[in-house]
Amino acid sequence: MTNYLQLSNITKTYGHFTALDDVSLSVDKGEFVTFLGPSGSGKTTTLMIIAGFEKASGGTVQVGGRSISELAPHERNIGIVFQNYALFPHKTAVENVYFPLQMRGVSRSQGLRQAEDMLSLVGLKGFGHRHPKELSGGQQQRVALARALVFEPSLLLLDEPLGALDKNLREQMQIEIKRIQRSLGVTTIFVTHDQSEAMSMSDRIVVFEKGRIEQVAAPLDIYHHPQTSFVAAFIGESNLIPAIITSGTDRTAENPTLGAVQYAGEDTLADGQKVTLLIRPEHIKLSRNPIEGRKNARMIVETIVNYGDNALVIGRAGDIPMRVRVLGADVVIIKEGEECCISWAPDAVFVITK
Amino acid sequence: MNTFMRWAGFIVVLFIAAPLVIVVPMSFSNASSLQFPPPGYWLGYYRAYFTSMDWLIPTWNSILIATATTILTMALVVPATFALVRHKFRGKGFADLMMLMPMAVPHIVMAVGYYSYFGDLGLVHSHLGVILAHTCLSVPIAFLVLSANLKGFDRNLERAAQSLGASPAKTFLHVTLPILRPGLVISSLFAFIQSFDETVVAIFISGRDAETLPRKMFDSIRQEADPVIAVISTLLFFVVLLGIAAPYFASALRSRAPKPSRPAGAH
Repeated sequence: MTNYLQLSNITKTYGHFTALDDVSLSVDKGEFVTFLGPSGSGKTTTLMIIAGFEKASGGTVQVGGRSISELAPHERNIGIVFQNYALFPHKTAVENVYFPLQMRGVSRSQGLRQAEDMLSLVGLKGFGHRHPKELSGGQQQRVALARALVFEPSLLLLDEPLGALDKNLREQMQIEIKRIQRSLGVTTIFVTHDQSEAMSMSDRIVVFEKGRIEQVAAPLDIYHHPQTSFVAAFIGESNLIPAIITSGTDRTAENPTLGAVQYAGEDTLADGQKVTLLIRPEHIKLSRNPIEGRKNARMIVETIVNYGDNALVIGRAGDIPMRVRVLGADVVIIKEGEECCISWAPDAVFVITK
Repeated sequence: MNTFMRWAGFIVVLFIAAPLVIVVPMSFSNASSLQFPPPGYWLGYYRAYFTSMDWLIPTWNSILIATATTILTMALVVPATFALVRHKFRGKGFADLMMLMPMAVPHIVMAVGYYSYFGDLGLVHSHLGVILAHTCLSVPIAFLVLSANLKGFDRNLERAAQSLGASPAKTFLHVTLPILRPGLVISSLFAFIQSFDETVVAIFISGRDAETLPRKMFDSIRQEADPVIAVISTLLFFVVLLGIAAPYFASALRSRAPKPSRPAGAH
């Protein structure tokens, strides 16, 4: 079902401060959508408006074609997992999961059985009798997830749920959340400021900045075709080079330092337009001498950061700071302080007009 | 721990415990007034306490007044604490100050105030008058305890409950109240003890009809130094001791409960 969740022109103001400015978005049934953005960008406020804990100053929220803007949080049938899990400390894991069923009048014996089944699905079979404080962070997370899913909510909202976990556990939970979400087919909104989390989990990413939506697209589209410099800089590593279009028909732009640069894409841009060229660090090749058939430039190497299997080479092409990501073996040919040659193919250059 | 610290600790404990060391034996004394060390021992003053209406009525008054004070205090403090901790409104700072005021003003000043003011209202020498005055004195301490608890309360728990389908009333009943229970128990306990212990205001306004135990004890020690005072002190001490020890006994019993599930051949 398309347009299952529909946000229309949502605004939120606190006094003179505008937290959300005309946010519109539609999400399909079963989709996993991530709200990505720096803190204060409006992603959590949007989530709280969907959940009903914040009231929008304007605009409507619809689920399944029905407006829920006027409903109280407990009438919305939306499951939420909070960053700190918010498990009830006076209830055991299985009682926590039973709670939403209890509120819906399910009998205790049947409700507890259903809750046990849900705990099994999240991989916590046999942990039901424990209190939250007797569970590890990852286990608490699973209980919170089970509790938010057991009553078959129309939406699942996850508010930075992995923030408090260490790196290994976080990766494990990313896979786990994805698996559970797929198996139940529940429409999910995931809020995070971690771009790698967003890239690995989402069907689509919504990038927030200063209370506005910057771009909505699939993870790889966002990565390869960012529509604004903010998105390009926020997602992945990037080299952003200011330039002016010299020939829209030939897809050529000019930068004072680099000279003429060919770019990819079929958009015919007007000559003289100011643009930003995006080149991802992994698309740049490092060599001693210029390579035929590519755009070449000289770069002074300033810093080499080794990661074992790859290395990040940071340097300057004239006055332009450049980052080059190279495979571990290739970095042997250069040292810090040396001058070398960087080159890229025309299809590695993407034009950003905003 | 070095020797000095050990001795310092010992002396402090001794200093704190000394009144007990004196009061408990004196309650079993057969002297005609308070005297230490006691010349001989008997249980006569215990019988005197439990058979004399002069003592039992003030005891009953104290329990009644302290219970009513606790109920009234909590009825005022619970909503007030929620309002003052969770909401911003005009005059909040002033309301906060007024809640704590009775603690800052000396009891004697309050007592004189009540004496003249309640006199006009006809509340002097009545249970109601003492209950109202004690409630006023109990509010600050109950408020302090409860607001500390409520400030540490994670509001996401309530949001979670609501998202899971609990109406605000059910959220309060199933989540807020159970989690705040320790704070509520402790603040009502403080309210009760404050009233049970309060002497100055009671002396001024309780009169004959609503005479409380501390007032009766004070009168008694001034007039005849009746050793029944030592009996009451000892009894109160053991009630408190029991109250403190009860949770330990309860948890000891609870932790013993699952043990029989060990293999039968283990011992």
